Amino acid sequence: MKFSGARTEIDARSRARAKRSAFFLACALSIIRASAAPAKTITIDDSGTQSLEPSVSLRWKSPAPSRAGPDNLMVGTTTIRVRINVMPWLRRTGRIYLNLPAQPPGPIAASWTTQGRFLPGQLQSGNRVLVYAGPIASPFMEDVLTFRFSVDGTLIRRSFPVSFHFEMDED
Amino acid sequence: MMHATLPPYGRNGLRRALIGAALFGAASGSGSAYTVNLSPAAPLTVYLQVGVGSFTNDYINGGQPGNNTAINTVSATVAASVVGNGTAQPMTTNSTAAQSYYDGFTFCSVPGQIYIGGFYRTAGGTTAAAKVTATVPAALTDSAGDTIPFSKIAWTSSGNADSGAEPFPAGTFTSGGAQSVGSMSSNTWNESCWTFSYLNNTVPPAGTFTGLVRYTLSAP
Repeated sequence: MKFSGARTEIDARSRARAKRSAFFLACALSIIRASAAPAKTITIDDSGTQSLEPSVSLRWKSPAPSRAGPDNLMVGTTTIRVRINVMPWLRRTGRIYLNLPAQPPGPIAASWTTQGRFLPGQLQSGNRVLVYAGPIASPFMEDVLTFRFSVDGTLIRRSFPVSFHFEMDED
Repeated sequence: MMHATLPPYGRNGLRRALIGAALFGAASGSGSAYTVNLSPAAPLTVYLQVGVGSFTNDYINGGQPGNNTAINTVSATVAASVVGNGTAQPMTTNSTAAQSYYDGFTFCSVPGQIYIGGFYRTAGGTTAAAKVTATVPAALTDSAGDTIPFSKIAWTSSGNADSGAEPFPAGTFTSGGAQSVGSMSSNTWNESCWTFSYLNNTVPPAGTFTGLVRYTLSAP
């Protein structure tokens, strides 16, 4: 009886230990799950953004073509005063991306310089690039970006719109 | 530790958190895309060089085309002993354009050949080829009014290390009128070297005979 009683006590301790282990394992798994969940991406209100030029004039990157004809890039630059509304993320940290969706007339490359608030960068349409990561300390974020767009001249014959947006990845 | 954090997220707390998240999503859902308009401002560019031309540098080094108003000559002096014997007489040029402005390669051999090349740039898909035409007088004339038909001048076409069909092929002048002498596909560089000859199969009066042929590039 004593032996079996001691055994019972050990079993009870083991069960309690096992329960506790299961609980911590569940917690650990739930924590791992939580951190592996994809960040929520939200398009940022950029209605305060203004272009300093009415349109971007595209010119041949090289005035003369090559012998085989593959060098048909047209390039154009424009300056845009970016003002995005980050009020919803005030006093939080966030990662802001510039997203240039895939769109007609075909592949578009963009590169840009900034005045320091955002990161300079470059990307191909259909992709996005990080332009800011850190605390959101004010309701609006502003910068002046000088964009350089490149597009295959054989794809275009007339003016066309190019759209991009900024988006926030929420942790 | 975990127990300490869970109770505030009881059923009511969790509901409040979800409502807060829903409201937050609604507040931040006013995002938009910014649009700029891109316009091909200078899509059509043409360049034709017959003889000497002008480029700020070779194309592969960022050179840009320019205007050159020089008029080059091709000429032959026929010895009296061979006049009219049917043996074509090679003509030479005063053009010094031996190098291609594409890469500086010595494409033509001067003074035996004259460079002809160019391109036309246009936006949009491949278009019809640009045409190069020669406007040819009826004849070369001398100071006495004697003539030699322009059809007595022909040319072959080649280029150093070149192969395949020439964009500006061999031909013979058609006296009086405009004739096609080659074409260019859009957005490609085209060049050939012409070697002119006087056919020498008639006996004209002695004299110096001249004539001017004008080459024109017409892009669609």
